[in-house]
Amino acid sequence: MLTKWKISERTCTVVNRGRLAISTPTKKPIVELDDVGVNYSGEVQALEHITLEITVGDFVGLIGPNGAGKSTLINVILGIVKPTTGHVRLFGEAISPKNLRKIGYVPQIPYSKNSNFPSTVYETVMMGRIPYSLRFPWFTKDDHRKVEEALERLEIRDLMNRRIGELSGGQTQRVFTAKALAGDPEMLIFDEPTSGVDTEAKREFYSILEQLNRDFGITTILSIHDLGVVTQLAKKIICINRTLYFDGLTTRFDPGAILPKAYNYPIEVIKHGDHP
Amino acid sequence: METILSSIISYLSTGFIQRAFIIGIIIAVLSSIVSVYTVLKRLSLIGDGLAHTAYGGIAIGLALGGIIPSLGDVDAYLVGGVLVILGSVMITKAIRSQKFSGDAAVAIFLTLGLATGVFVTSITLNYGFALDALLFGSILLVTWNQIYAAAFVLVLTMFLIVVFYKPLLYTIFDEVQARASGIVTWKFDYLLAVLAGVTVIVSIPIVGVLLISALLVLPALTSIQLTRSFKQTILLSPVFGLASVVFGMLFAIIQPHAAPGGTVVLVGLSILLIAIVTKKIRASF
Repeated sequence: MLTKWKISERTCTVVNRGRLAISTPTKKPIVELDDVGVNYSGEVQALEHITLEITVGDFVGLIGPNGAGKSTLINVILGIVKPTTGHVRLFGEAISPKNLRKIGYVPQIPYSKNSNFPSTVYETVMMGRIPYSLRFPWFTKDDHRKVEEALERLEIRDLMNRRIGELSGGQTQRVFTAKALAGDPEMLIFDEPTSGVDTEAKREFYSILEQLNRDFGITTILSIHDLGVVTQLAKKIICINRTLYFDGLTTRFDPGAILPKAYNYPIEVIKHGDHP
Repeated sequence: METILSSIISYLSTGFIQRAFIIGIIIAVLSSIVSVYTVLKRLSLIGDGLAHTAYGGIAIGLALGGIIPSLGDVDAYLVGGVLVILGSVMITKAIRSQKFSGDAAVAIFLTLGLATGVFVTSITLNYGFALDALLFGSILLVTWNQIYAAAFVLVLTMFLIVVFYKPLLYTIFDEVQARASGIVTWKFDYLLAVLAGVTVIVSIPIVGVLLISALLVLPALTSIQLTRSFKQTILLSPVFGLASVVFGMLFAIIQPHAAPGGTVVLVGLSILLIAIVTKKIRASF
């Protein structure tokens, strides 16, 4: 018989023989990739030998040059791309619709395929509730409450009746973040969310992401090119270019040593204050 | 004016005109609702591809009817229906395989259906096909059986769209996001294609093979111009579809030489033009 309970920051484990072991807490893994490789049509090796772990509360900055496989890695985590080799586990289990519902995903340009889609901001955010309310064709009071909360949290309540095609890039990203939040996610994944967004809107957007991670404990993966933003926001950095070049705490990330290897050309890192 | 009105009223009291209006209204509502999904899924031309597949299927069915006289017109439409459903499944499969784009997949089936139809009709001309009716519609010759079939398809479609309202909406909005949130989107892609196929086969009597795609595009396109939400779009689309069919058919009654299929589509295009101009005027204020 093994009993566990939590005391402050440490976990005590009492074994039936009466011994007491005190260990530092092991954070629950949310994403586990074990030797993952992706090969498109037997020709393009998009990813190889990727082994990593993302745990509860992490804020991960995913970096790498164009074509490094960042979006493929995200698609593997989301179950959209099946790995050719290796295994992926989400929340300790194989990928399934049930555990995918715990993830909120904000793609690069969410409605670029159909910018003329007739949908209000409110309807768009409500789509984030669809995977949780498939039982009935209608939305419940609880769904509406969660949408209202997400709109409040992203400060876009005043936009709720606007058609999404009329919004600026920054407003659009807030709407799609609210949509992801409406599903009460345990993890948020952003794939280059601020492409085409102006500097001020970017700054505000990143501050919201930081707050969501800090105040609500939402695990976050942010795929982005801006190294300055990554080192400022992320607690952990994953640097890939087909294969893994760095996976560790931001404080241990040495851009001068890692980036030239990962980007495959000489890079001079210029520091602005404490950040590269 | 009085003469026109009295002529419309006298026509409306005849059985074949009444049947034409009944099936017209059913098909207007059906195609308008399905059109919202096909247009927003960027499959506007799927109706055209499936209609031509139906042409090939119906031609085969009619040829079989000529060879085996006990098979009537209904069986020809049944053969067409089976091939259309098969075609809709294969078009979806081709698109999902990512080996073909949506328009290329539709084009393959469009030409396959057309070529089959032309080949079969050319070698079996002796059996006397009603080719004009097939190509341009024959709404005035509609039978009660065709009306019952269209009504059944309308009820079934409405039921499926209500039951799967949410996942269907998410799938047409952004399939990748829907998949990433655990929705099994491929099922809804096939469902949508089959619904479009069934709509095509029951709509051929009203506008014919050549103009059917208009009914699967114009109502939704018009609605999208004037609405800001999905809910408004799906509610308003049947209004535009009904207006096209009813006014188009009334025009054909007033002008007896005008083919109803053509007038229905021309009225639909006029409504779309008015909607585009209205949107521009509204945007300028």
